Amino acid sequence: RLTQVRWSRYNPSFLEPEVNKELYQKPWEELSEEEKEKLELKAVQPIKAAPPTVSSSVFSDPMISKFTNMMMKDGNKVLARSLMAQTLEAIKRKQLEKYHKAPEEEKETIECNPYVIFHQALKNCQPIIGLSSITKGGKTYQVPVPLKDNRKRFLAMKWLITECRENKNRRTLMPEKLSQELLQAFNNEGPIIKKKHVLHKMAEANRAYAHFRWW
Amino acid sequence: LRLIYTTTAAQRKNVGASGPEKYTEAFIKKQIEEFNLGKRHLANMMGEDPETFTQEDIDRAIAYLFPSGLFDKQARPMMKHPSEIFPEQRKIQWGEDGRPFHFLFYTGKQSYYSLMHETYEKLLNAQKYQDQLIAQDLPPEKEKRNLAGSRWLTKIELEEMLLEKLSDDEYSRFIQLLKKLMTLPCGDIEEKYIQKFSKEVPAQLQKVVIEPLKYDERGVAFSTGKGTRKTARATAVVYDNGTGKITVNGIDILHYFPVLQDREQLLFPFQFLDRVGKHDTVCTVSGGGRSKAGAIRLASAKALRSFVTEKEVEFMRQAGLLTIDPRVKERKKPGQEGARRKFTWKKR
Repeated sequence: RLTQVRWSRYNPSFLEPEVNKELYQKPWEELSEEEKEKLELKAVQPIKAAPPTVSSSVFSDPMISKFTNMMMKDGNKVLARSLMAQTLEAIKRKQLEKYHKAPEEEKETIECNPYVIFHQALKNCQPIIGLSSITKGGKTYQVPVPLKDNRKRFLAMKWLITECRENKNRRTLMPEKLSQELLQAFNNEGPIIKKKHVLHKMAEANRAYAHFRWW
Repeated sequence: LRLIYTTTAAQRKNVGASGPEKYTEAFIKKQIEEFNLGKRHLANMMGEDPETFTQEDIDRAIAYLFPSGLFDKQARPMMKHPSEIFPEQRKIQWGEDGRPFHFLFYTGKQSYYSLMHETYEKLLNAQKYQDQLIAQDLPPEKEKRNLAGSRWLTKIELEEMLLEKLSDDEYSRFIQLLKKLMTLPCGDIEEKYIQKFSKEVPAQLQKVVIEPLKYDERGVAFSTGKGTRKTARATAVVYDNGTGKITVNGIDILHYFPVLQDREQLLFPFQFLDRVGKHDTVCTVSGGGRSKAGAIRLASAKALRSFVTEKEVEFMRQAGLLTIDPRVKERKKPGQEGARRKFTWKKR
């Protein structure tokens, strides 16, 4: 089988573990035929061990863990995790402040759950088209190219982190800056949304070269 | 992109496909006659019956008569049937006038392309059969083949069958065709054809024996489990009717594991089974660093199997709680700075 990993300690016949509790609590009759077949197949195949970052509790979120890993420097997961927790706390505090100051009609529209804000902000930051450099006839052109879901998520997270680390923010701490960026992205404002729009405009401008793409 | 997880057996060269004939048919016939004669001589030498002398007996006799201390099994003296020593090779594919026998000779891979043509023909027949069934208003039969018990031929096995080298792309195309053929309702001939290219997987998952609950002096049920992860070794004793306290080497987990992630891992099996506040755990752990938490997780999951129904054990296995994590630190190689990191490349 072809993959990009040179080798793995697991035999290729091992499947990925499924940690979500709700999938296992469905009674037998409610499952559709395809799912029953899948379960029967799974019963005979070996499964890999669950990684230490993953857990079945409500607090573990794959998107949040991915973001924490990207924020991590030199393998310091403890620091990255604490920064993430502080960011979520900061978002909650800011939203609660707004909630208590707002008049009665607007109180329902204000979102207080930091996880919801994080997911929505990421979604708003994701670009739809990307640019890829293709060399044809000696010249390199920037060709608009559709992006995969993984790539979109990665770009959104990367932009968030680079925006918070650089751009002349020496005095503010990371959680504060990150929470500010996430709230701005949630409301479709801020420098990251601007970056996304700039990318879209460049792709629109280079529309003429779209036929250079062969995949 | 490279092939991953190949065993040494799978990496052996496909001699049958390379180059023209190395040994003639007459030569092989002579070798077979000599082998049979030699087998009878050997049987006489060992004092056994030449008629009922099997390959295992030959191996034992040769190991007795020619003891060898060499490590590689292939380097020791062996006496096997010539068909195992001289691999099958392609016969000459053109006649005396230079004209090839097979009509697809000039494609370069005649057996592969003829196989593809045959399979496609079977596919078309199966589609015709399905159309006939629909025309007669009969419901389409969905025979459930046992997917779990069989696997397709690997690329190397297919190459040996066809005596030709194949590329990964061609192999995957052939398997896709076979899968498509499998989805259609087809008759007996096609079933036999598909069975030629699939192999049984006899190794069932070993049934692990779940130990019954033990009872200590106070009458409380408990069970033990062992777990390992990298270099950490842990044993966990899970007691029933508890408050959810976990003690490691005599110290509470809040002091032993200051990191939140480790504590989450310890509670993972209990949280998965909705038994967070019901069991008391006493663990001992040695070795390792952060991997102690992973070792205790495995140990407590194994101990919990005795408290829980078989279905839930299966769910735990599918969640990855009962597998030993085989990942260990990769060794450092000579000529490189670390396991993967190479030295800084200097132009001069």
